[in-house]
Amino acid sequence: MISYVAVGLLVLLTLSIPVGIVLFLLGFGIDVFFSPFPLIKGLGQSVWSSSNSATLIAIPFFVLLGEVLVKSGVAGRTYTALDRWVSWLPGGLIHANIATATMFSATSGSSIATAATVATVAMPQAQKLGYDPKLFSGAIAAGGTLGIMIPPSINLIVYGFLTQTSIPQLFLAGLVPGIALALLFILATVVICTVRPALGGDRRVFPLAQMLAALRDLLPIIVLFTIIIGTIYKGWATPTEAAAVGVAGAFAIAAWFRGVSVSMIGECLLGTIKITSMIMLVVIGASFLNFTLSSAGLGRELQAFLTELGLSPLLFILVIVLIYVVLGFFIETLSLMVITIPIIVPLVVAQGYDPVWFGILMIVLIEMALITPPVGLNLFVVQGVRKQGSLNEVMLGAIPYVLVMLLMVAALIAFPQIALFLPQYI
Amino acid sequence: MAAAVLGALRRLNYRLAIVIGIALLGCAAFVLLDIVLRQFNASFGGTDEISGYAMAITSAWGMSYALLELGHVRIDLLRSRLVTRSRVLIDLVSMLVVALMVTVIAFQCWPVLEKSLTNNSRANTVLETPLWMVQLPWLAGWVWFALMAWLSLMAALWLFLHGQFDDVEQSIGTVAETKALS
Repeated sequence: MISYVAVGLLVLLTLSIPVGIVLFLLGFGIDVFFSPFPLIKGLGQSVWSSSNSATLIAIPFFVLLGEVLVKSGVAGRTYTALDRWVSWLPGGLIHANIATATMFSATSGSSIATAATVATVAMPQAQKLGYDPKLFSGAIAAGGTLGIMIPPSINLIVYGFLTQTSIPQLFLAGLVPGIALALLFILATVVICTVRPALGGDRRVFPLAQMLAALRDLLPIIVLFTIIIGTIYKGWATPTEAAAVGVAGAFAIAAWFRGVSVSMIGECLLGTIKITSMIMLVVIGASFLNFTLSSAGLGRELQAFLTELGLSPLLFILVIVLIYVVLGFFIETLSLMVITIPIIVPLVVAQGYDPVWFGILMIVLIEMALITPPVGLNLFVVQGVRKQGSLNEVMLGAIPYVLVMLLMVAALIAFPQIALFLPQYI
Repeated sequence: MAAAVLGALRRLNYRLAIVIGIALLGCAAFVLLDIVLRQFNASFGGTDEISGYAMAITSAWGMSYALLELGHVRIDLLRSRLVTRSRVLIDLVSMLVVALMVTVIAFQCWPVLEKSLTNNSRANTVLETPLWMVQLPWLAGWVWFALMAWLSLMAALWLFLHGQFDDVEQSIGTVAETKALS
């Protein structure tokens, strides 16, 4: 059954059939070939119960929140403001790229949107100030990936939903590794630009008055993030309620900066519906596949498979990491997540690992998938905005950050507490 | 002709998407209002339930918009390396599979509504919502999605048979990520 799913996935995906539909087809196949009962009878109920969910409605809310911040031009302000705060470091403006990406991802939860937004505001600056295009664009691509780790993360909501893991716990577990990754990106940039100053631009020190004035543009977003995460952490609000508050907050910020108009709201709504529907088709398909796999006795087969392998838990998790790195060359975040969750997560949990911890590890691995060639969505996005030079430059520039991510993977395996210590407080 | 049909479908689903979007905004407002009321020891006492229904209905009705805007994720590792003619063939096959599968889904969703109708089922909650009231629009969304898939397939096939390969690709192919964002 496991090999059927693996081969089936490969064949159907190369035919460019939409991922969500592929998952349905595989579930259908499991029913025909592996189940003594007609599982298709459960299809309608599975579609109904997986979409009738007060938890999942947090997804369109968070998407909308991000759309509002992006389309109202708040991103540009954030970038200029952060430039004043971090450009004194060796590497200059590159740090503003990483910091803006971090801050945006902290509120929006989408990697591609983050990378595209930062690239749009940052690229013109790079040319003006004479930065090396490689490291500069690589940092944007890498910084953008943080969006799926730092809460609120849509990918973590999907993971929590499909594996029935607590979403507030996942959010808190992602906080420290997410911020640590951002700091490590900055540290790596400082080291690189100290050794090879030509790669960075001029360091610029702004007077204190200008730095303080910039706070005006930064504070609203920091407050919004604190409200969203704070209310979830304190148990005052469910992720869905926090998301609704976030939407209201984003509109308030956009209105404050005079970025709200009827056409802007229309664009935000359309973007939200498109992204949400895309996510939901994949989620509903994965739920049906999950249902057929477990009904057809995947559990027993996995147990047998594990015993046969006879790997130690550590060796086993390293094999899993390797699988994700290899798959990540070709498949992207959400697809990679939902097609592997039904099989990999039960295996990992059977080995005695914590599903919250594994959720975070998986997120780092799929973040890496976003910036590893030949298929790395964020690389394409940044190159698309750049409109000059070659994709190879972005790829080369992203390499240091891929190494940092590998370091984070190792750290999470060696010290699971990095992810698990915060969630124990709720 | 096919181009006109596709254009009309796009405009129709564009309007639908706006309506669904407004419904989502309404739902967010409803959740907010409930949080405020809770501070005064009052509550609608059914926000979770209503948000769930809203999610089921909006995600069913949003599918066709994403389909026409080429928003559903496809892996085009092999596809992007082919010449135009083979590429559009793959697009047509893929669209056929989508139309077939979504039709199966819509058919399998009917028994869920049928059961609620015959048993006159109500949700096991405070609101005791009659389930058919929310399952009917939900099912209609999936039927609409299937219908849109078949219509797009026909239109694309017509374009294909008339040798307009580039138009086929524009109607049911894939868009570059950067374009998809703008």
